[in-house]
Amino acid sequence: MEVYGLDKPMLTQFALYVKSSLSFDFGISFLTGRPVADELRSRVPNTVALLGSSLLLSALLGTWLGIQAARKRGGALERLVLWGGALSYSFPSFFFQLMLLMVFAAAIPIFPLRGSLSVPPPLGGAALFLDYVWHLALPVLSQVLLGFGGWALYVRNLMVKILGEDFILMARGRGLPERRVLRGHAFRMLLPPLLTILLLSLPGVVSGAVLTETVFSLHGVGRFLMEAVTGHDYPAAGASFFLLALLTVASTLASDLLYGVTDPRVRLERGRGR
Amino acid sequence: MRRRTLTRRWSFWCLVLLAALALFGGRLFSAPPDAEVAAPFSKPFWLDRSLPPTVTADLTPDAPSAEIPWSWGAPSRFFVAADMVADAPGRTILWTKPGGRTVEIAPLKKGVERDGRDMAFKRALGLPPFADGAASLLDERGTYRLSVDGQGPWEGTVRLRLDGGRWGLFGTDQRGRDIAALFVAGIRVSLLVGIMATLIATALGTTVGLAAGYLGGWFDSAAMRLVDLLLSIPMLPILMALAAIWGKGLWQLVLILSIFSWMGTARTVRAMTLSLRDTAYIEDLRGIGAPTAYILRRHLLPETLPLLLATMTLGVPGAILSEAGLSFLGLSDPRVISWGRMLHEAQTFGTFTAGAWWMLLPPGLGIAVLCLAFLDMGKYLEERTDPRLRGGALS
Repeated sequence: MEVYGLDKPMLTQFALYVKSSLSFDFGISFLTGRPVADELRSRVPNTVALLGSSLLLSALLGTWLGIQAARKRGGALERLVLWGGALSYSFPSFFFQLMLLMVFAAAIPIFPLRGSLSVPPPLGGAALFLDYVWHLALPVLSQVLLGFGGWALYVRNLMVKILGEDFILMARGRGLPERRVLRGHAFRMLLPPLLTILLLSLPGVVSGAVLTETVFSLHGVGRFLMEAVTGHDYPAAGASFFLLALLTVASTLASDLLYGVTDPRVRLERGRGR
Repeated sequence: MRRRTLTRRWSFWCLVLLAALALFGGRLFSAPPDAEVAAPFSKPFWLDRSLPPTVTADLTPDAPSAEIPWSWGAPSRFFVAADMVADAPGRTILWTKPGGRTVEIAPLKKGVERDGRDMAFKRALGLPPFADGAASLLDERGTYRLSVDGQGPWEGTVRLRLDGGRWGLFGTDQRGRDIAALFVAGIRVSLLVGIMATLIATALGTTVGLAAGYLGGWFDSAAMRLVDLLLSIPMLPILMALAAIWGKGLWQLVLILSIFSWMGTARTVRAMTLSLRDTAYIEDLRGIGAPTAYILRRHLLPETLPLLLATMTLGVPGAILSEAGLSFLGLSDPRVISWGRMLHEAQTFGTFTAGAWWMLLPPGLGIAVLCLAFLDMGKYLEERTDPRLRGGALS
């Protein structure tokens, strides 16, 4: 009773909860008996590495493919993008990842079956890093393969619209090389809506992390949450929720700030508003 | 060139087939889907022809003997059980080998069971304790015969099961359940959850969207802020928590899913209502004193309906995928068979340790095909209601 502060009145309990959450003191896990904060500290970098690298790679690949598809409409690439987009909306991610595991880890053992590091971990900085990347390769690859279709589809649709605008025709009419038309004129128009979609996709990406980490048994926040929820480990579950929420809010804020960088008009309007 | 009619879309026939399977598919199988029908991890029948298949035979008073042609090695299990109303003194269960030698399995009594792995049974057969009972009972190729011998009346069924390594179209899972039967049973859950959750979400979204768009003011801003809030929350962790708190039942799941998927509809409907609100005919209606509820129900709602049909169809895959994801994480009722649950069990029990990939493919591909079909159907409906969209994906 006293350990969890259950003998105090409700409001005091809530105040204590808010205070401890803000100071990242999440109490002691029911399951492992270790402080939740310590458990989480070792997991957060893994989750950030997984989400960051897969989001970045799929955004880059998707944007490039989308632009190429919009340039050559009706080609094989455009068909790939259209189908890739449809598949990424309908294919269960965890099934795809299980299949990848089945083929590239169980049948042809070139990737590890589970975990974030080998047991025991290799010695030395470079070897440790390579081992980490080796373990992260398949999860990231699967996230990219699942994610790039949606990006490409979105970019393609935007780009088709942008390339039909008058200023593109004007730029082409001035005899600018195609590369400059694309990079200097079309791509600038593309950036702000891209950030919007990044913003909107963040919650889904965090949800995906829970599944990905569970499938690949990665040492991350998502699987910690999963284990906490199934094991009724309330301090751990609460802390993971708090952290995932924090992660979402932080990345939302980051992309909101980037918005001003990519679209000068937004900055101006805000400046005027104040 | 482009396929415009409903009956020429692959997705339409796909959905019809799946719906028919969901309604009548249970009759394709003699046993209920959660019954143990063969050895655990039996392979699909077409996979490895050298493995013995799983053979079952029922003896009744009308058909007191059954012939079993056997041209494989020994099965992993020999199992005979008598499901009787009463004991039948004077009757025995006999096993005749191709050479004509007979082995007495057991006297025909109520609830008698013989398993080739049982010590007592092996001793009765005169075998050493570590011998394989099934191998000694099926030690040559040819036609075996199981029969009820002796005199006197009897009533009931004597059931024989020889567990080979093969069973059915998709094999069996870790408990020896037929994966094809589980697959068919899972369609129902996916369709039910997907459609029900989307229906409730659409109803909720339409109500909020209509009210927000038409009434405007504080209700509008409050509703839209709520939409923004819900859209920025990672859904799966919340679903996990709610599933853990509210329980794992199917209806809780439907409710949880619909609470978190009405926002898109609300936004679309609100935008549409906003553009309609100030049209002349709505203003005229207001002018002649039509009550707000009447305008909303009889004039604005029908305007949004064709659009709603498309968004609804497009929303089903999301609900199906969320349900599958939750079940895959193990946060669903273990007694309810669903595709997500099958994938969960495949991951925890068989796929990697037993190499049972046939546990993985049917449910996973089922989800993918079902979602693609709904997506294609939604695109079709969208094109029908808004011809400008023609030529988009999947058409």
